[in-house]
Amino acid sequence: MNHIEVAKSVVKKAAIDGVEAEAYVVSGTQTSVQIRQGEVEKLSYAGSKGLGVRVLIDGKMGYAYTSDFSHDSLDQAVHSALELAEISDADPNRVLPEPKPIVDEDLAIYDSSMDGVSTEEKVVFQKAVEAAALGADERVKVAAMNMYMDSVTEVSLVNSKGFSGAYQSTFSGAYIMVMAIDGDERATGFGYGFGRSLKALDPQKIGRDAGEQAVKLLGGSPVPTQVATVVYTPFAASSLLGALSQALTAKAMQRQRTFLHDKFGEAVASDMVTLLDNGRLPGGFATRPFDDEGNPTGATRLIDEGVFQAVLYDEYSARKDGQVSTGNASRRSHTGPPGLSASNFYIQPGPDSAESLIADVEKGLYVVNVMNTHSINPVNGDYSVSAQGFWIENGKMTHPVNGVTIALPLDQLLYNVSQVANDLTFIPMMGAIGSPTIRVDGVTIGGM
Amino acid sequence: MLPEQSIQKIINTALRNGGDLAEVYLEDTDRLTLVLDDQKLETATRGSDIGGGVRVFYGQTAAYAYTDDLSEEALLAAAEAAAAAARSTNQARVAVDLTRRIPSVTHPIKRPFDQMSIAEKAALLRQIDQTGRATSSLISQLMTSYTQTSRRVWIYNSDGVWAEDERFMLELRASLVAKRGDALQTITTGLGGQTGLEMLDERDPLTAVKEAAETAVHMLDAKPAPAGEMTVVINNGWGGVLFHEACGHCMEADFITSGASAYAGMVGERVGPDFLTAIDDGTIPNRRGSLRFDDEGTPAQKVTLIENGILKEYMWDLTEARRLGRESTGNGRRQSFRHMPMPRMTNTYIDAGPHDPEEIIRSTKKGLFAKRLGGGQVEIGRGDYVFAVTEGYLIEDGRLTTPVRGATLVGNGPETLRQIDMIGSDLALDPGIGMCGKGQSARVSVGQPTVRVPKLTVGGTDQPISGLMGG
Repeated sequence: MNHIEVAKSVVKKAAIDGVEAEAYVVSGTQTSVQIRQGEVEKLSYAGSKGLGVRVLIDGKMGYAYTSDFSHDSLDQAVHSALELAEISDADPNRVLPEPKPIVDEDLAIYDSSMDGVSTEEKVVFQKAVEAAALGADERVKVAAMNMYMDSVTEVSLVNSKGFSGAYQSTFSGAYIMVMAIDGDERATGFGYGFGRSLKALDPQKIGRDAGEQAVKLLGGSPVPTQVATVVYTPFAASSLLGALSQALTAKAMQRQRTFLHDKFGEAVASDMVTLLDNGRLPGGFATRPFDDEGNPTGATRLIDEGVFQAVLYDEYSARKDGQVSTGNASRRSHTGPPGLSASNFYIQPGPDSAESLIADVEKGLYVVNVMNTHSINPVNGDYSVSAQGFWIENGKMTHPVNGVTIALPLDQLLYNVSQVANDLTFIPMMGAIGSPTIRVDGVTIGGM
Repeated sequence: MLPEQSIQKIINTALRNGGDLAEVYLEDTDRLTLVLDDQKLETATRGSDIGGGVRVFYGQTAAYAYTDDLSEEALLAAAEAAAAAARSTNQARVAVDLTRRIPSVTHPIKRPFDQMSIAEKAALLRQIDQTGRATSSLISQLMTSYTQTSRRVWIYNSDGVWAEDERFMLELRASLVAKRGDALQTITTGLGGQTGLEMLDERDPLTAVKEAAETAVHMLDAKPAPAGEMTVVINNGWGGVLFHEACGHCMEADFITSGASAYAGMVGERVGPDFLTAIDDGTIPNRRGSLRFDDEGTPAQKVTLIENGILKEYMWDLTEARRLGRESTGNGRRQSFRHMPMPRMTNTYIDAGPHDPEEIIRSTKKGLFAKRLGGGQVEIGRGDYVFAVTEGYLIEDGRLTTPVRGATLVGNGPETLRQIDMIGSDLALDPGIGMCGKGQSARVSVGQPTVRVPKLTVGGTDQPISGLMGG
């Protein structure tokens, strides 16, 4: 029985006596390869599957999941979901979406060439990444984490309102972290590449990026504590956008769990800032034809030239506000009901090159890496992370910087964005967040 | 689980093309989660995760294949896939007889999860919610959750290991928002451990949520934290997360054998003051990071990492131990059957020291008291770390004064450890809701007494206060 049929049979079992039911099946294959010093260290292969069933009894929700598709297990899951719904609290806005037309277009999320890639090719690929990293400079000594992974995934979704849909996607990614060592000095660099197929990745670039970054950062030291300009690379900026994406959901607004909760319709950022969410961006890492409860995905302009004009909705939060879902219901796996989160979320690129952004800075910090970004607080906007990068003096990078913090509440940070470059880059490690290089003034740098 | 003959058959299949060691790992996890948010029981989820994996070691390579189907056929297919990668020139080898290992430590539970109905568990969340909200009218949002996990694992290998472990995890969490005007403060609290429902009798969740609510309200008055270098006193208990992140990860054997860690090759050397002893102990009864056997069948152990300031030992799993022809320390853990084991911490703490905790504050002229730390992160190569301070106070003339918000601690693990100048006698472990991420997530516990570091960089948004440094 194929998975859409499994989902249908579960919905049929659960949806009796007015119960609304939805079944979500995710299945696929995963491969990962880890290389260490030119040898295969770890190889992993798998095929996996899982089903989650959500039921609604007069607005009361229950959810159960299983990875065993035998009749008994599926029956057990339906039984558990119904039992859990009984003890939940009713909410009239909690209903499953009515089926809506899904535009049939190529979203470029499935690359059939993944099928033909052998494990051997993946091993050769990742060995090349390591060799390129170690070859970037003689001071690059250790590859601490050197991993390739890929997956082919199929999602099937059926609900009792008549929705039925499925799609496939492929993913291929490589990551390497290296250490450069020079006497007592040590520095870490990393490189990564992601795409829909191995063919989209360049092992030389991934390795070289890691090696070159590590060497450049050697000898980093703190700078004196001060207020200065900070220029964020796309990688560094994407972490603060991640917190912002949580603050811009309807759920955060409705429950006042965002520093933006009473700012709707107002200017909340400098006019350089336009923030978008687009679940249909071709090839995007969060792109899919429908969201995880069957609503069509789409594009939402959240902040338009600084003005806060839209939030992200799933079916529940949209009904609560008398709005239409923006197609942002999502789940990490089959083990939980859909939540509400951003899809491909990004700052619209501006006209200038990243180089010209740096050239305009009299005194400031060019940040290439930040740590502890999960402590950024989307509720009150507290933002203080540690940073690594290069000091800028009169438009030129002078020396590597390490062991400093950068801090500014997010609401002020948005206002202080003074330039946005044209180099929009998506960072799938953070979700599917994209940013160009951005310049922010008046940031507190904590150092010596 | 599967009969012994089936396991033998799977192991023999895995070694068909040779290989040094074959392992079968089976898992059956059942989880119930209830979430109460916005005063409604919103999410009630139950499910099972069942599967197994077969791993074959040949030389320094490990091949692994896993499946979510625990039939003999599916596991044989996984064994075939792992064996295919081996292609070793060795002769096929046959496993020795399996001998069931008797655990030397146990973590018995007194009240199984089914002694309370799901409705009663939901009622408990409502009670916690009401208690939190009743503490202050400034509590604007409260989300509470209950999670129970029953995880059974079976580990067999071709050296004859047969180990079973059963892990019951209970976890209560509350996340609160206090609001006054435009000011918002968030606090997360919780209780947990490897325990049955007796935890609810032994530790009062209502007191915990009340305290958290009071803290959240209190922190509304917090001033922006200062930025710059200063003396920092770190609270006991959860404060041990700093050692976990800043030093513990650098003592995990995978970062040692690769040479990436700042602590590589340092066994026998002084890494801290002579009153510093640090331990990773998987045997503490009923703690969140405790085990009977790790996920490779090695018995849980108490590992002294640092003794009187001298580095003694790292934390090893089988993969890393095999590289050096030594024994694992029982630190081989995995998130689930979908993951290969790696060296991980269990319950990690700095042992009690010689100083009176009150005297530590009293003798600090100016500085920061980090009462409650948020999450942290470490960069392994240098050991640079960063932490959020979710509840902090200025120390002025030996007394705690103004609460401060938005503080971050940054430093270098090995350097901070060397610098520690006072360690209190008040060792405490954390409340038991810690989750450690290293590509895979693992439940861990941390702990420490009150610890003082004379000079740390604090990141805040306020202007530096001159003269804040010093003891």
